[in-house]
Amino acid sequence: MAETQIEFNLNGKQHRVSAEATQTLLYLLRDKLELTGTKDGCSSGDCGACVVMLDGRPVNSCMVLAPQAENSSVVTIEGLAKDGELHPVQRAFSETWAFQCGFCTPGMLVSCYALLESNDNPTREEILTAIAGNFCRCTGYQGVVKAVQQAAAELRAANGSEVVLDE
Amino acid sequence: MKIPEYAAPETLAEALQMKKERGADARVIAGGTDLILRMQEKVLSPSMLIDLRRISIDAIVIAGDEMRLGAFVSMSQLLESADTARLFPALAAACKEFAGPPIRNRGTLGGNIVNASPAADLVPPLIAYDATIVLSCAGGDRVLPLVEFFVGPGQSVITADEILTEIRLPVMPPLSAATFIKLGQRRSMAIAQVNLTTRLSVDDSGVASEVRVALGAVAPVPMRALAAEQVVAGKALSEELLVAAAQKAREEVTPISDVRASRAYRLEMTEVLVRRALLATWDELGRKETHG
Repeated sequence: MAETQIEFNLNGKQHRVSAEATQTLLYLLRDKLELTGTKDGCSSGDCGACVVMLDGRPVNSCMVLAPQAENSSVVTIEGLAKDGELHPVQRAFSETWAFQCGFCTPGMLVSCYALLESNDNPTREEILTAIAGNFCRCTGYQGVVKAVQQAAAELRAANGSEVVLDE
Repeated sequence: MKIPEYAAPETLAEALQMKKERGADARVIAGGTDLILRMQEKVLSPSMLIDLRRISIDAIVIAGDEMRLGAFVSMSQLLESADTARLFPALAAACKEFAGPPIRNRGTLGGNIVNASPAADLVPPLIAYDATIVLSCAGGDRVLPLVEFFVGPGQSVITADEILTEIRLPVMPPLSAATFIKLGQRRSMAIAQVNLTTRLSVDDSGVASEVRVALGAVAPVPMRALAAEQVVAGKALSEELLVAAAQKAREEVTPISDVRASRAYRLEMTEVLVRRALLATWDELGRKETHG
C-alpha cells in the first residue's frame, strides 16, 4: 500500500511527511526527520529510551504508529531547550551526573520534563513513579532523583513559588 | 510487517460498517500498546487497521446508578478521574500499578479487555465490581457481564464484526469495600504472576450481601472464585470465614507454570493473597462502618 501523508507539529514547527501505516512515530523521528536524539532501545514499549511528548503526555514513540500521530503535537528531546538555553532539568542532569552512557537519557529527560510541567515540587516517590517506564542499565536512578529535585527547586524559584518556612 | 490499510473513521457507524465488511482481518487499534507489538512480532498481520481515535468513546460519565466508561479511556484518564477513585478505588489501584506512565498514557481500558490476556490487570477489579460491557456491531449492541467475555488466553466471545465500545459499572451498595493486589517481579512494567480483587458488601446487620473474589493469571481466563465467595456470602464476616474462603480459592484456580512463576507458587500465592485481600477489605469496611 502506498505511503500516506502525515501532518503534525514537531517541536513547535508543522511537518508533513509520508509514511507507511506500520511505521512508528519513532521511525518517523529518527529516519525520516533525522532527529536521532530519541533512542530506539527495545522497540517494544518496555525500556522508555524512545519517550517523547505526544499532545502533552509522555509516550513510547515505538508504540505509536505514524498515522496515529496525525494532527498531534510532538516534543522530543531536541525541543526541550529554548533559544539555546537548556531546560533546567537538562542542566541539572549534567550538573549532578544523572547519567553514565547516556542512552536512556533522552527518554528519561522527557519523562522528567513531563513531571515538572505539572508538578514543580515532586516528592521522591512521585519522581520514581514518573520514571517507572524508563530503564537505566548503567548507573541507577539516584542521580536522576537528585537532578529532578534540583531542577524543581530552580523552577519554583523562577516561578516565585519557593516555599518559605517560618523561623 | 505486512502493510495494512489504515482508516481513522469519524463515526462509530463507519467503523462498524468497516468491521462488518472486512471481518476479523480488520483489527481495531486503540492505544496500540499490545497490537503494535504483536504486529511487529508477526503474531498478527491484519489487512486493515481501524483507528478509533476520532470516535468519541473516551469519556467517563456517571449516568443514574452506573458509571459508563468509553472503551477508548486510557489508564491515565482513569487514574486522574476523581469519580473512579471515589467509587471504584480498586480499579484506580490497578491503573496505578499498570506498566509505567508512557504506556498508561496510551493503553486503553477497552484494549486491556479485548486482548483477553488471563493476566490483564484491570479485569479483576472490573469483574469484582460486576462490570458489564457493550459490544457494538452494525446491527445493534449487546450487553454482557464482563466475566462471560473470556473464552481462553487471547480468546473471547467477540465476533468478527463487533467492537467493544463501553464498560459499565454499577454504583456499589453503600457499605462496600474492595482491594486490588498485584504480585509481579517488580512494581512497575511487570506482567502479573497473580492479580486479584476482592470485594465485600454488607447489609445493615453486618451480613455479607455480595462477595466477589476475582482472579487473574491463575487460569486460562480471568475468573471468579465462586466457591470461595459462597463460603462468605450471606454470613456475618469473621476472620475464620475469610481464611476459609482463601483456602477454597486455592482449590478453584488452575494455574500453569511459565516464565513468570511456577504453578505451585501461584497456587500458594492465590491463597495468601486472597486471604490478605479479604482481610484488608474487611478492615476497610470496618473503617467505613465506624466513620459512616
